[in-house]
Amino acid sequence: MSDNARFAQLVLPHLDAGYNLARWLTRDAHDADDVVQDACVRALKYLDALRGGDGRAWFLTIVRRAFYDWIERNRPAEIVADDGSAIDAAVDTAALTPEQAAIRSAESQLLADAVAELPLPFREVLILRELEELSYKEIARIADIPIGTVMSRLARARGLLQRSPLVRAAGGRTAGEGS
Amino acid sequence: MNCAEALKWVPAYADGEIDRLRGYLVKRHLAGCADCAAEHDRILALRAQLRAEVPYYGAPPALRARVRETLGVSAGSTKPRPAGARDRWSWLAGGALAGCAATILAWTLGTAVLDWQKNEDIGNEAVALHVRATLANHPIEVASSDQHTVKPWLSARLDYSPPVPDFAKDGFTLLGARLDYLDRTAVATLVYRYRQHTIDVFVRPETKRPAPPALRNVRGFNVAHASGAGMDWLAVSDVSPDVLSEFVQRLARGGASGTDKPQ
Repeated sequence: MSDNARFAQLVLPHLDAGYNLARWLTRDAHDADDVVQDACVRALKYLDALRGGDGRAWFLTIVRRAFYDWIERNRPAEIVADDGSAIDAAVDTAALTPEQAAIRSAESQLLADAVAELPLPFREVLILRELEELSYKEIARIADIPIGTVMSRLARARGLLQRSPLVRAAGGRTAGEGS
Repeated sequence: MNCAEALKWVPAYADGEIDRLRGYLVKRHLAGCADCAAEHDRILALRAQLRAEVPYYGAPPALRARVRETLGVSAGSTKPRPAGARDRWSWLAGGALAGCAATILAWTLGTAVLDWQKNEDIGNEAVALHVRATLANHPIEVASSDQHTVKPWLSARLDYSPPVPDFAKDGFTLLGARLDYLDRTAVATLVYRYRQHTIDVFVRPETKRPAPPALRNVRGFNVAHASGAGMDWLAVSDVSPDVLSEFVQRLARGGASGTDKPQ
C-alpha cells in the first residue's frame, strides 16, 4: 500500500480529533488549520513510525508537537515554564475577577470560556481526557509526561474550572455548594 | 480507607482508572462519607457539563478537502516536473503500480479466504468497512432519524428485518442506514452519532458460529459485539470502549424489549 493510501486509512479518520485538539490549544480557527496541516505533512513523512498501534493517539501526538513548534514561532509568550510557581502565576492572571465574570456572564459560553482560559498544560490534559476520552496512559504518551503528572494536572484543571467565577456565574452547578 | 486517602483516589475512580481492589475500597468509603461522595459527584457533574456545553470542533470541510488534495499531489501524478527523459518511463511506473495493486488485491483475497473462519476477522472487516465509508464521505444510503423510515428500507433489501432501536434521548442520534457486505453476507449497517463520533452498527441474524470477542481494538477503533433479539450486533467507532460496549449491549436488549422483533 502506498504511503498516501496508508495515511488516508490510518490518519484521515482522526482528522476531527486532531483539529479539535489544535483548535483548543490555539484557541483560533485559522491557527488550528495551520497546525493541523503541518501535522498532516509530518504524519505523512513519519508514517513508517506507525506500526499497527493506535492511529488516533499517534496523530494527536504529532498535532501536539506541531502546535508547540507553532506557538514557539508565533506566540512564545504563551508558553509557561513548566514548574509549579510559573503555573501558579499563570493561574492567577488567568483567573477573572467577579466583575469581569459578571460582564462575561452576559455571553452564553461560560464553561467553554473557562476551559479556554486554562493554562496550556492543564487545558491539553483536560481536552484529551474529557473530550477525547483517552486513558491516563495514552495522555501520558501524547503529552510526554508521567502518569502521575497527568493525574495532578487533571485534578488542577478540574479544580480551576470548579472554582472559576465563569462557571460559578453559570449557576454553580459544578462549583459545589459549600463542602 | 480514610478521607485523605479516598480523596486522592476519587478522580482516578471517576475516570475508571483504578485497580479493582482500590476501586472497591473507594466505593465502600464513598457509600459512607457524604463529603467524599460530593467530591466524586462534582467530577461527574463537571464532566457532564463539559460534554454538553463545550464544543467539539470537527475539522472544517475546506481543511479536509485541502488535506486530501495534498495527498493527491504528493502521489506524483500531478506533481509538476520537467518533461523529458523521465516521462518516457512513466508508463513503467504505471505498470508497476498496477502490479502492486494486483499483488495487494491477490494477497488480500488470499488472506481473506484463509482466515474467513477466524471470527476475529469480522472485527477487521467491520473496521475496514467503517473506514471506507468514512473516507468515501457517504456512510448513509437512507438518511433518516426516523426508525419507521429506516426499518422498511432495510427490510425491502435484505432477507431479514433488523430492529432499528432509537436512543436519541440518550445522545445516540440515528442518522440512517446502509447496506454492507460483511463476512460473506449482506448486512444492515445502522449509523448513529454520539457527540462528534460516528458509530456503525452491523446487524445480522444470529449465527451458530463462535461469537467475536465482546470488545477489542483494531487500529485505534473500538469494536464491540453483543447478541440479542435474535440478532448479532457489531458496533465500530472511535468512541471510548466503555460507551461503545454499553451501547451495543443496550441495542441487543432494546430490540428484545421493544416491538421491533424480526418478522
